[in-house]
Amino acid sequence: MVFSLSLGALVSLICGLDRVAILQVMISRPIVAAPLVALLLGEPLVGLQIGVMVELLWLARLPVGAAVPPDDTQVAIATSVLTVIFERALNTSGIELILLCLLIATPLGKVGQYFDHYARQYNVSLATRVDTALDQGALTRAEFLHLRGLVSFTLAALGTYAVIMAGGLVAVPLLWPLIQKSFGYSTAWVELALPLIGVAVVLGTINVSRAITLFCASFCMAFLLMWLV
Amino acid sequence: MSISRRVRLHIWLRLLFLQASWNFERLQGIGFFYALLPGLKKLYRKDELRDVSRRYVGYFNTHVYLAPLVAGAVLKLEEQKAAGQADPDFSIEEFKEMVAAPYAAIGDALFWGGLRPLAAGVSLFFAVKGILWAPLIFIILYNIVPIWFRTVFFVRGYRQGMDSVKFIQEHKLPDWAIHTKEAAVVVLGGLSAFMVFSQLTHHQLPGWLGLLTLLPMVMLSLIARKGVSTLVLVFITVGTIFLLGLFWVDMIQLFALWGAK
Repeated sequence: MVFSLSLGALVSLICGLDRVAILQVMISRPIVAAPLVALLLGEPLVGLQIGVMVELLWLARLPVGAAVPPDDTQVAIATSVLTVIFERALNTSGIELILLCLLIATPLGKVGQYFDHYARQYNVSLATRVDTALDQGALTRAEFLHLRGLVSFTLAALGTYAVIMAGGLVAVPLLWPLIQKSFGYSTAWVELALPLIGVAVVLGTINVSRAITLFCASFCMAFLLMWLV
Repeated sequence: MSISRRVRLHIWLRLLFLQASWNFERLQGIGFFYALLPGLKKLYRKDELRDVSRRYVGYFNTHVYLAPLVAGAVLKLEEQKAAGQADPDFSIEEFKEMVAAPYAAIGDALFWGGLRPLAAGVSLFFAVKGILWAPLIFIILYNIVPIWFRTVFFVRGYRQGMDSVKFIQEHKLPDWAIHTKEAAVVVLGGLSAFMVFSQLTHHQLPGWLGLLTLLPMVMLSLIARKGVSTLVLVFITVGTIFLLGLFWVDMIQLFALWGAK
């Protein structure tokens, strides 16, 4: 378990930095981060299933300007790690456990929003120190202070990962025996509903005239093709 | 004095760290200064360099993929200024302020609002089929355009200076943003139909049921448009499905008992 947690933390750190601070090559997107960590833990298909659900669920939340969206990256990574850990600990597998881990991790992703906010707030103090460094003609120090901002984002990513993991490690063993059987009746539909909610939110928020008309036409056309042909 | 290709490459690499110290006061300001510093060091000496640096650590915010275009253009303008060829009626700060916000709006709409859902939609078809290459497909599909923007636009910015604005106008990027968003909606429609059809086939349920999915989806999208958060929608929907599942099982057991009597 320690190995799984550490590996998860490493992926969480790298992907957390890609999210805002460096590169932005989108390895932080849930469809990449979840399968990546799950692959490293030896369960890539679990990560793929989680990636599909989380990616679509938060697809509409955009990091526009100073807006800080919930941390879907850490939700995807932590859900994958939690699922793999409990699959082994409880000697079980299947979508029920994935969904339970995801439903516990998703609200905790809001914590990431606060941590990210604090990181950006803390970085304001770096700006003041950069001014002082420039007044003293210490350009190298000013450059170093810029890179110190990476520490704030790293701590925010790891903090979010830690909170979700802690919540999951406590809640899953408590809830699993209680809802294991009853949850089984509805998991297939919940698995379908989560990505569809994400798509619906995209439709509701995307700035395209006649988005719903376009969507319905595309849906019906594709569905009829699959059903009738 | 012109800035060598090596220094420009250095600046381009530093632009990958543009948001390392992103903060609520100056957003990308310090990052922009950090990226341009190798170039500024070539153009200015000591006190002059310190004064110029102070100008750059202030507020700056644009889209991260369009920042290289601004950086390239600003570098050219600094080069012209150092050579005494600058336009006296138009300062570099004015240019930065003039282009940063519109470029941010264009980039947000094109990349976050359009390209990302489009690339995700396409790659998720593969992911739903259980193809493990899906994440790689997403990374490749998504990154082609940003890499092109980051490299070609930086070169263009440096080559054209203030005229780089015309380059953006020629490419009609706001129109491309709308087209990309429309394509994303169409792809997401196909993807949703594929997921619904797969689920119905898996449970051997009649196909026409799938068309009914459109009703709750349209309802949810209208609710989302009112500003209801995704989390609330998730817990209401999951709770409803969970309770319906239990109710359905109870009903089946009830009918079974009835039949036995």
